[in-house]
Amino acid sequence: MIRYTLRRLTLLIVTLWLLTVFLFSLNYFFPGDPLTNMTGIRASNTLSYQLAAEARGFDASIISQYINFVGHFVRGDWGQSLTTQRDVFTDLIPLLGGTLELSLLAMILAMVIGAPLGLYAAGQQRGSMDRLAMGVSLSAYSIPVFWLAQLLILLFAVKLRWTPISGQINPLFDIDVYSGSIIVDILISDNPYKQAALLDAINHLWLPVIVLAIMPATMLMRITRNSMLEVLQQNYIRAARARGLTETRILLRHVLPNAMQPVVRQLGLMFSILMSNIIITEVIFNWPGLGSWLVKSIYERDYPVMQGGLFAFAALILLVNVLVELFHAWRYPQVRKELYAER
Amino acid sequence: MTILDIRNLTIELETDNGPVRVLDRFNLQLAEGEIHTLIGESGSGKSLLAKAILGFINPRWKITADRLWWRHYDLLALNNAQRRIVTGRDMAMIFQDPSTYLDPNDKVGAQLRETIPAGELTGIYLKRRADRQTRAERLLHRVGIKDTKEVMESYPHELSEGLAQKVSIAMAIAHNPKLLIADEPTTAMEPNTRAQIYRLLAKLSAGQGMSILMITQDLTAVVPESQRISLIYCGQLMESGPTEQVMQSPLHPYTDAMLSMSLFNQNAGPKTRLPTLSGAIPTLQHMPIGCRLGPRCPYARRACVIQPPLEKRQQQQYACHYPLWEDSGHD
Repeated sequence: MIRYTLRRLTLLIVTLWLLTVFLFSLNYFFPGDPLTNMTGIRASNTLSYQLAAEARGFDASIISQYINFVGHFVRGDWGQSLTTQRDVFTDLIPLLGGTLELSLLAMILAMVIGAPLGLYAAGQQRGSMDRLAMGVSLSAYSIPVFWLAQLLILLFAVKLRWTPISGQINPLFDIDVYSGSIIVDILISDNPYKQAALLDAINHLWLPVIVLAIMPATMLMRITRNSMLEVLQQNYIRAARARGLTETRILLRHVLPNAMQPVVRQLGLMFSILMSNIIITEVIFNWPGLGSWLVKSIYERDYPVMQGGLFAFAALILLVNVLVELFHAWRYPQVRKELYAER
Repeated sequence: MTILDIRNLTIELETDNGPVRVLDRFNLQLAEGEIHTLIGESGSGKSLLAKAILGFINPRWKITADRLWWRHYDLLALNNAQRRIVTGRDMAMIFQDPSTYLDPNDKVGAQLRETIPAGELTGIYLKRRADRQTRAERLLHRVGIKDTKEVMESYPHELSEGLAQKVSIAMAIAHNPKLLIADEPTTAMEPNTRAQIYRLLAKLSAGQGMSILMITQDLTAVVPESQRISLIYCGQLMESGPTEQVMQSPLHPYTDAMLSMSLFNQNAGPKTRLPTLSGAIPTLQHMPIGCRLGPRCPYARRACVIQPPLEKRQQQQYACHYPLWEDSGHD
């Protein structure tokens, strides 16, 4: 397991390194001055520009420029926004919190809905409920998220008026931003109207979470159902029955853990899909997160912000994938054997 | 004492082309503590027989029998739940590729511990746990595994097939079954391991009066401890009897052919072909009527289109109109 962990971590580091090479080269491909693209300092601001050029080795070769770029990057100096002149890295942290809040809640909701429905469908194999569940899941899976989001807004926010159309919380509640996750921020704040604020935040939160959860939930449902059916066919399940173990015990100890294996394996992929959906969802719901921030920076040609957003998204996806793989290998040891056998 | 009594067991599978009879009026009697070897080629229905005895029955199979008795239970009269209780208590089975019968994501020790019947444990939680552990270790000792710690801490994929088979035997004997069905337990194993497994099974049978129904492909796999053998061809019982007697003086042409085909055949001269039956095993949809060996049998005559009844001669049972003994009219 240690060896496996080291291999995965090495892969993570190498990929992150390649990502910095890519980001660095972007500065030269973007229109305009590379130093301005990198730091967000315009040439008209002569003194700061000269200082930045010196600090980032722009008088030397491109290699030393790259080394300086990585140096600044690691220290958290990701430049400043071209439009707001605010530091990219300090802006990014609370936005990351907002995105994580949304994505984690959506993942949890997807698991809570998807896995049990998959199990239920497997139990009703080829019955009418199974067909219905699979049909619904296929249609839900095919609906593009931007359309679904607008439909649901139209229904719940405009027609039924159950929920606000967009935003994270009513600005009347003056909540200080620390982590970016609105629920955490409310809980650590000393606002006298904490409970009301929390309710309001949840009222803002549930619709985007549902929109985001639908796609991974349908995927989970299908994977769970199929793997469940496969595991039930396995010899060791039949042997367990022949040994006279109780059906509950077989289900809990042998069927479920094994059926969850492909589900766990797919979680990383599902998270990647969720991330691309979250960008759209955040824009539609005007949610202060990485996604809406990134899209805004693209509209505004704000290159330092774009780089920061790209890196944050890519690093997040990579990290989650590696963590999922590590968990998978830790929980399902025969995966490790497959890897060793390849050596 | 006969503990398993099967008379005229017939299994039909529903297919798109009508029912197919995969087991045709099969007979088997198994005495307590006896090792009985069932020999049949692949597709002869021997594994189906095992499943029918254990009650792993697909709802699309139609099973009829004059008798299917296990001790004093009429297995066909029991409902599924009752049958599982009887099977779980009295019978156990080991299989061809043992490692697929172990949960790949659970440690061997945990799987072994959970097979120990809870009813035999006493005391409170912690004592029961410790009890389970010692019993599991004792089981592994009984099947000849010395470093129990290491095996119990392993996952199934870390065991060799031989070890995995020993572990599944340990699981099978955890509740002291009266009948163990071993379905080609040593295929794909090295001869050395194979011998170990067979010795182990023979020892268990002798030691605690456990009957074993050994299912194999050919006569070479019959162990010396096996008291009786039965030969099955395409779902029909060909011949059954005491091992020595059947091997020495086969009454059925099929047994005779199997013996001369096998490497036991001492009469074959050097560099001659081993005699084989002409033709091939018929497919399930195209079974010949009467004696299914008919088209391939060197002694077949017109009468063979009628299925011969099971006859008995000096403890040997055979189903053939023209058995192989001196005054039977053969040349």
